[in-house]
Amino acid sequence: MGSVVQLSSPEQEKRMQETTDMALFVHTSKEAIDGWNREKIVDALVRETYVDRDTADAISLEVEQQVLSSGIKMLTAPLIRELVDAKLIERGLEQARMMHTRLGVPLYDAEQMIMHPNKENANVPHGPEATNLTLAEGIKKEYALLNVFTQDVGEAHMRGDIHLHDLGFIDRPYCSGQSLEYLKKFGLNLPNSLAMAKPAKHPEVLLAHMVKFAAALQSNFAGAIGWDAVNLFFAPYLVDLSDREVKQLAQMLIFEFSQQAVARGGQAIFSDINLYWEVPKHFEDVPAIGPGGTYTGKTYAEYEKDAQRFVWLLFDVFKEGDASGRPFFFPKPLVHITEKFFKTPGHEKFLNHICDVAADKGNTYFVFDRGSTAKISECCRLSFKLEQSDLEDAKEPWKMRYSALQNVTLNLPRIAYRSGKDNTRLFENITEMMKITADAHSKKREFILRLLSNEKSGPLNLLTMKLDGTPYLRMHRCTYLIGMVGLNELIQYHIGQEMHESHEATKFGLEVIAHMKLVSDKLSRKYGMRFVLEQTPAESTAYRFAKLDIQYYPEEATEIVKGDLKRNEIYYTNSTLYNVGASMNPIERTRLEGRFHPIIEAGAITHIWLGESKPSKESLANFVTKTFRYTKNDQIAFSPEFTACKECGKVSRGLHEKCSYCGSEDVDGITRITGYFTRVSSWNKGKLGELKDRYRNQGQFKKQGVS
Amino acid sequence: MTLFTKSLCSACQDVKQEFDLEMLGIKLEELGPENPGALAHLAWHELVETVETKGLPILVLDDSSSIADADEIKDYLATINKS
Repeated sequence: MGSVVQLSSPEQEKRMQETTDMALFVHTSKEAIDGWNREKIVDALVRETYVDRDTADAISLEVEQQVLSSGIKMLTAPLIRELVDAKLIERGLEQARMMHTRLGVPLYDAEQMIMHPNKENANVPHGPEATNLTLAEGIKKEYALLNVFTQDVGEAHMRGDIHLHDLGFIDRPYCSGQSLEYLKKFGLNLPNSLAMAKPAKHPEVLLAHMVKFAAALQSNFAGAIGWDAVNLFFAPYLVDLSDREVKQLAQMLIFEFSQQAVARGGQAIFSDINLYWEVPKHFEDVPAIGPGGTYTGKTYAEYEKDAQRFVWLLFDVFKEGDASGRPFFFPKPLVHITEKFFKTPGHEKFLNHICDVAADKGNTYFVFDRGSTAKISECCRLSFKLEQSDLEDAKEPWKMRYSALQNVTLNLPRIAYRSGKDNTRLFENITEMMKITADAHSKKREFILRLLSNEKSGPLNLLTMKLDGTPYLRMHRCTYLIGMVGLNELIQYHIGQEMHESHEATKFGLEVIAHMKLVSDKLSRKYGMRFVLEQTPAESTAYRFAKLDIQYYPEEATEIVKGDLKRNEIYYTNSTLYNVGASMNPIERTRLEGRFHPIIEAGAITHIWLGESKPSKESLANFVTKTFRYTKNDQIAFSPEFTACKECGKVSRGLHEKCSYCGSEDVDGITRITGYFTRVSSWNKGKLGELKDRYRNQGQFKKQGVS
Repeated sequence: MTLFTKSLCSACQDVKQEFDLEMLGIKLEELGPENPGALAHLAWHELVETVETKGLPILVLDDSSSIADADEIKDYLATINKS
């Protein structure tokens, strides 16, 4: 991090003063000791800024004089740089000062990071690797705000008008969706790898390739790594395996992804597996790739039974949970419910099976693809809707690679506060903020293109590899996400009612999101980029916005923010969701929230919080079927709660302060934070506030064992 | 009742020209890039996907059911026009 400049020993210091030879010794980041050299200031100013040499020389002389006359005993390199920066400010050279800025963290902050966990992301455990991640992210965030985005964008983020997600990963795209077919066809052949692997001949090897590739992708993307039709693409490898062997493979897959907390920053790979009971229509006639990367002579339609066997057994493993019976946090299983699903034999039993897992462990995500819609889902709710050209690509499924390059979220309640309950101003202010968002996306795109332009020698060389003739990252299929937080609070402030309180409130909410959709379409045409709305997961953003609004808009925000203000456990309601504490019938919530989903192209979800109740699989299956048939909801998930005892290792249902088995108070809660399960102890204050407020659907479903 | 239409839609024009919508108590909503209210109204009736698959016009009846075919809309309007 920082270089340290030290004065020499007292004897040397005396000699220095005598000879006016400033024998300052510089402890550099390379742990070398350099002597004082005024020319280094000059060189740095000329190299890093547009300051001319004469000015740089004058500044260096002034700084030297200041150091000499100050009697400083010990100097650090950052201090020298700050002294220089002060001289730049005195001369009104603000731009040069910014270009000359040193990035880093104060000693105190570094100590805090090393000693205490970072709760910005509950998926990052505390440890040395996590500290490295936090420190690196800190510097890259500063770099991004100073050097990638415009000042307007940077200030909008800092003020909390918008949130630029994953700023600490400025040099990577956001999320990605890919196909196992890429590995099956080309093997594991990564640019920085010490050894190349040919296409896998055995299912265990294919799995190993998948896990390693996911880890490599995690190093090149900020967020989730999603995989399409995993059970189907594994199927050609499973033909000759017994059920026991397939179950073993299912166990390996789930344990491998759930135990990957050794990769980036000690963070588990945020992994999603898209699963189908049927063979999706767009893969029916596609020639299947089998062991060794060769075509089997069959189409994927002919592998339906093996694909079904694998997905069934995957859910057997999810049902069992880990060694302690806890739910697996990753990979997230996303089951696509389609018209064809309901026409495929065995779907009733399978639906009961995955609903059993949903009721018991909560893992299952139900993704609804109505009509001819097809998509790849991942992250907390992100989805890539397949267009006609994508369905053409499906004939060569390894081409099906998608990415969202960045996610920027609008602080909707603040826009309401600024608009003074005036409709015209409200919609104008939303438009203005979306223009800033588009600018942010444009700058991120430029930056990523710059990194990609270095191809093999660049930092994103993995994303430029061209095993199928085109770069792995297909820029033309990248989307740019525009998210929203606190629609409910915008409506509450603007018209005086929350969305669950009246149809008028919901209708106005729809108008706000429809406006955002139309503006994003216009901006897409203007910039030639795909701006799409997404329900922001807002794990920490909902907390950050609420905190900043209490600071900057206390008069307006105090009555609006949710949570416990005294405990600072405050938050805004996520995206377009209804108040989490509203005692709504779950089907009513699913239906009303679902009305927003068709205009939120890049993904939306409704959460059904179960608390400690354990509904029957039949009642959930009935709920899922009704949701598909009678609502427009995009995706639902059922979230039970658990208490895991650190003493005896047992897991009980519900959130409790003591272990119900051994009475120990050394327990941790487990439930879904936004779009994934994690330990409650790792949650930020805002999410803790939300957890307390959540309305649990305890009596809404038939319990297990009740006919 | 509400009739959802858009500009440059010949089937929509046919329906609009053939009937006096105001007299029939039908509200007209024209979908377009400058009309978020119409899109919001469409979303409230859960018809966004219907427009994407079946196109316009769509007539939403007072009981919230809908007709998404120009000929069927004309037949329906002709019936209530007579009564």
